Amino acid sequence: MSQVRIIPVLLLKNGGLYKTVRFKNARYVGDPINTVKIFNEKEADELVLLDYNASLEKRGPDLKKISEIAGEAFMPMGYGGGIRTLDDAKKVFDGGFEKVVLNSILFEDLSIIEKIGNIYGAQAVVASVDVKKSLFGKQKVYGQSGTRGSGLDPVEWAKQLEGAGAGEIFLNSIDRDGTWEGYDVDLVREVSKAVSLPVIACGGAGNIQDLKQAVYDGGASAVAAGSMFVYQKKGMGVLISFPSEKLKI
Amino acid sequence: MFNTSDREYRQCALSVMDTIADPDIKFDEKGICNYYYEYKQAEAGLHKGAEGWAMLEKIADEIREEGKNKPYDCIMGLSGGVDSTYVAYLAKQLGLRPLAVHFDNGWNSELAVMNIENIITKLGFDLFTYVIDWNEFRDIQIAYLKASVVDIEAITDHAIFASLYRLAGERKIKYILSGTNVQTENTLPRSWIFNKHDHINIQSIHKAYGTLPLKTFPFSNAKVKRYYRQVLGVTSVSVINYVEYNKKKIKELIQRELGWRDYGGKHYESVWTRFYQGYILPTKFNIDKRKAHLSDLIFGGQITKEEALEELRKPIYDATQFKIDYDFVLKKLGLTEDEFNAIMQAPPRSHYDFDYEMPIDQRYPALKPFKTIYRTFFPVK
Amino acid sequence: MLAIINYGLGNLTSIQNMCRRIGVEAMITDDPALIGKAERLILPGVGHFRKGMENLHASGLKQLLDRLVLEEKRPILGICLGAQLMTRHSEEGDVDGLGWVDADTIRFRDDRLKGLKVPHMGWREIIPAGSNPLWENLPAEPRFYFVHSYHFDFQRREEVAATAVYGAEFVCAFRKENVYGTQFHPEKSHKFGMKVLENFSRIKA
Repeated sequence: MSQVRIIPVLLLKNGGLYKTVRFKNARYVGDPINTVKIFNEKEADELVLLDYNASLEKRGPDLKKISEIAGEAFMPMGYGGGIRTLDDAKKVFDGGFEKVVLNSILFEDLSIIEKIGNIYGAQAVVASVDVKKSLFGKQKVYGQSGTRGSGLDPVEWAKQLEGAGAGEIFLNSIDRDGTWEGYDVDLVREVSKAVSLPVIACGGAGNIQDLKQAVYDGGASAVAAGSMFVYQKKGMGVLISFPSEKLKI
Repeated sequence: MFNTSDREYRQCALSVMDTIADPDIKFDEKGICNYYYEYKQAEAGLHKGAEGWAMLEKIADEIREEGKNKPYDCIMGLSGGVDSTYVAYLAKQLGLRPLAVHFDNGWNSELAVMNIENIITKLGFDLFTYVIDWNEFRDIQIAYLKASVVDIEAITDHAIFASLYRLAGERKIKYILSGTNVQTENTLPRSWIFNKHDHINIQSIHKAYGTLPLKTFPFSNAKVKRYYRQVLGVTSVSVINYVEYNKKKIKELIQRELGWRDYGGKHYESVWTRFYQGYILPTKFNIDKRKAHLSDLIFGGQITKEEALEELRKPIYDATQFKIDYDFVLKKLGLTEDEFNAIMQAPPRSHYDFDYEMPIDQRYPALKPFKTIYRTFFPVK
Repeated sequence: MLAIINYGLGNLTSIQNMCRRIGVEAMITDDPALIGKAERLILPGVGHFRKGMENLHASGLKQLLDRLVLEEKRPILGICLGAQLMTRHSEEGDVDGLGWVDADTIRFRDDRLKGLKVPHMGWREIIPAGSNPLWENLPAEPRFYFVHSYHFDFQRREEVAATAVYGAEFVCAFRKENVYGTQFHPEKSHKFGMKVLENFSRIKA
């Protein structure tokens, strides 16, 4: 029996943590250092920290800040946000992160995956895929924090990323983000079937049932969530939590 | 050195309060200190047992009646500590429908968060969290550290107070259930604290040493207080003062019923409070808050003086925990070791060295211009 | 003093962070003089086997470590790639390793994986094989974080310190006298990893 990784996702902006709904309406959640400290004490399996507007705002990672945050985690940490070069990635790794999460740069240069993977291992490179339904109702991949449509189909894009040497796919449903309505299981299933890479499902999780569904029904290798771990329940106050129940597969 | 005097060292015959804890402490002919009598007097004003419970139920009836058609009939602060947890438990016993409010100043321990989760889950309460902007809060904390004033917790206390009242007003809830109690909090030398309702003092200290504008920090000023209290009729009910409060028994109760976990120290649900009470107060201000807590327990017959002395002999801070907390606190506050050492070495200053709320501010705000003139002649030091 | 050997690969910061948290003085260094003075050594590593060996050769650290470890019997803990480098040879790159232990590093075999994917990534419980200073007072149901595509292959059991199951059983930790190795990452394994590092820091130097 394997233990499925359950991964809290934290959104960083101006040094503070925020939570969005459908990638909009960011609400302040608190101090990242203390929040990661709490997740660490709750023995979260892994954590992903995203400076989600970095590319949009043409910024690189705030290395000092994210290193301070990483110092509170004694479990694997992934960072994404504004990584464009091998040197950017190196600095993030040196800061105490195990994985880098790439998104916007991939639309310009896929070869960066291999550049990083050759030195740090493919498993250290996570390709992030943000998906939402276009005006015509088809699922499409979006870059720049969901503002720029790429016209790409998620399954095709995932295959390309696999070919480029990515270690994992971080699959995010923009439409479900922050809604507590459950993952877009169809999307998860289609992408998981198409690649042999681990797929991390994200976007919409509201409870443990949702996590289980993404794994057993959608074929996700790992499940990620934001709202569910930072709010008591939908519409209620900020409260950090992490399930004590382990997901097995 | 703070809290020293030319008086010869003397300890209360009954409790562990002494001339170090309060240089102005008074002893009667039996060697018993003034705090004992103050405690007994406060205690006498309380109603306990069946009588106390009957009064509490009557208040609960009023609360229920008032909040009949609203989603919540009362509001209560939840920190994850013993007092507020017990208040939550009592609220459930009394059939009330509280909105639980947690104040997050960025220093929550995982234990506190877990306790809160267990409480609201087991009791079926909704939680509202007031998350203070960490950058602003840090700025005020650093200002207080640089100002070398003693009551750094006044910032948090003030914000909690302001937030609770503001929230009660917004949601049209008339009753705040409070966890303040005589049994463990009556004894408190005045030199240890400052008026937590005083927003002027906070703003003045911040003005002197702060760097960021305070845009979201919840301030309560005289107008706000008057409005909520008098116009909206918001009142605070100190629930615990109506019941027996044997700390040991209550801890066992909430552990059993609510899965509460112990921190090992009063208010240690906050990493900052642990550091402040365990390191900053004793080292910079020569204050050991345990003396006051333990003395209250002695006065209330919950522990003996021997047990209190035994407790005081234990180190106030676990060495390993201290090292971890020290690194964490400095990292969070963004202070170098040198900066922090300079703060710790600087001599303590009085809150009154800064501007503070005077009767003129409270009762006659229209006379503010006169205060400005007063300040021109008698500026803040 | 514990030296975390910097040969260009590995979660150096994370290891040092954990050491600091558990009160163990640890220094990240590539300086042969400092490494020579350290009582205990950690050889971390994440990445390609060939690159690891290249770096060890190029920096001159290979000779130094051979002497410190094989002759002076300095306690050393290899982590992930660092541990793999201590074997004789790896299929990754078809390169020879340091040869400190009687084992090779091989890729997960498809027929043993039973459909599971490679790399093996995530938390897994380990099964300690007999007593070992590293496992002293380890919390119950010890689990650690793994992320690897290759694993140790020991023919004999004497040097096997722990196994885990991914499809089939594989060796995840070894010990030969003063040489210790873990496939998993203690620095990313919460209280379990803390206990292992703490135990390593107490091994008689």
